[in-house]
Amino acid sequence: MKRTPSEQRIIELLAPGALCRDGFLGDDHRELQEILDADRATVEALGLTHRDIAAALDDACRAAMAGLEAPVHLTSGNLVAEFHDAMGFIPSPWGEGKLFAKGEVVVTDPATGDRLVYTPLSVHLIGKHGFYQGRGSPYRLDPARVARLFGLGRRASNLDTTSGKET
Amino acid sequence: MTSVLPIILAAAAACAVTTSLAAMLMLAERYLVKYGTCRLDVNSSDRVIEVKGGKSVLESLKAEGIFVPSACGGRGTCAYCKLKITEGGGPVAPTELALLSEQELSENVRITCQVKVRNDMSLVVPEHLLSAGEYRGVVERITDLTHDIKNLRIRLVEPKSIKYQPGQYIQLEAPAYGSNPEAVFRAYSMSSMPDEDDCLELIIRLVPGGICTTWVFTMLAEGDEVRFNGPYGDFHLSETDREMIWIAGGSGMAPFWSMVRHMAAHDMARKTTYFFGAVRARDLFLVEELRKLDQHHEWFTFVPALSAPADEDNWDGETGRITDVVDRHVSDGSQAEVYLCGSPGMVDAAGRVVTAKGIPPERIFFDKFG
Repeated sequence: MKRTPSEQRIIELLAPGALCRDGFLGDDHRELQEILDADRATVEALGLTHRDIAAALDDACRAAMAGLEAPVHLTSGNLVAEFHDAMGFIPSPWGEGKLFAKGEVVVTDPATGDRLVYTPLSVHLIGKHGFYQGRGSPYRLDPARVARLFGLGRRASNLDTTSGKET
Repeated sequence: MTSVLPIILAAAAACAVTTSLAAMLMLAERYLVKYGTCRLDVNSSDRVIEVKGGKSVLESLKAEGIFVPSACGGRGTCAYCKLKITEGGGPVAPTELALLSEQELSENVRITCQVKVRNDMSLVVPEHLLSAGEYRGVVERITDLTHDIKNLRIRLVEPKSIKYQPGQYIQLEAPAYGSNPEAVFRAYSMSSMPDEDDCLELIIRLVPGGICTTWVFTMLAEGDEVRFNGPYGDFHLSETDREMIWIAGGSGMAPFWSMVRHMAAHDMARKTTYFFGAVRARDLFLVEELRKLDQHHEWFTFVPALSAPADEDNWDGETGRITDVVDRHVSDGSQAEVYLCGSPGMVDAAGRVVTAKGIPPERIFFDKFG
């Protein structure tokens, strides 16, 4: 597949060691566009938009950050969020001149044990670019899993999270 | 179908020609174009350096011992390496446009890793960058401070000493390893005292997935050689006698551990209250040492606090978020100066609290890098 110079640059920045140790693609050998398309299909099947999902993640991230590393009970649902601080910033692989605080958000449903781990950069990549990271990436967020945890969209529990198709 | 085929062939041929031309231009730029020697005039001829053209401004300055901080290794994404190029910078590249504000563009601010030296240039380099140097040292000791924070002690080899102010930082080089193809630089504040100028100490917290901290935590060993450059930064004690409020969390401890011991060693009896926040007792460190300084120096008060102590912590000190603790302790800060060091979230939250206490922005100093 031919790539434009800007696409090639993004691919290089998504690789391990470019901006972070593990990169953003994990062991996913699909082309970036295929990853984006598959996750977009999942999001559409849920009746959601990337912005809907990013907004839920962002709310939890902001609440967790305000807790200064202590666990915070989210107002929506029975979820608990924690922010694990790390010093410094990381830029977006899309190179938009924005820097994002390093550190991890951990959102847990104590009733089920379901847990999501992501970063402030993850929120931006989803909201702005529809990029949920490749399979095997430490911060890969499957849209259906996010939707299920936050209670977003329709029939979230009936989705095959691998293909994004309804089962 | 037969009438469409020539059109497709013509389009394919045009694409192939365009691609070939672009590739040839890139190769010609890389291997054939010689820019010769170019003069970089730094700070209105304070320093004039001659470099071979063709490399980026960032690389060219580094080769001449001027280290401009960069977090992305010159990939044009972090926007740390901004400098004013007042003459000779050429047109702004598309890769720069996304990283510069309208005001910066009007002031000739450029992303130096994206600007190639093709001709003579005039640059404005902040003074503190001109005094930074490149150093080689040997790891003398690595100590666990908590489950995810280490103290790194480096003995200098070449040059053998370094001058810095408490609160400043260096950029430590993590070499290429594993799947990380290139060396990267990461900023860490010195936690050591400047008087001991043949050694440096850094307090480093593990960043999940972090290139440099993973190297420090899993590969770096005592006796290994390390490289760094610096010192940098304007986060240091002001030259006033104002009361100070320090607020930190995690590895944000580093500059304050340097400052308080420097103040004690030089009899700088400036009233200082240091608020240090952690979640649980296992996240605290240097507490006994700081409590001793508190007992021995009337001017110094240390207030550690836990936001979520566990029962087994047996904690009888302050509890709550560090910002809430500051809110309870500080009634009127209108005459004080505030120094903040920690994660961006902590620094922003603490900034809001002290602002509400009447401390004007010009007296709030912060370091979001630690």
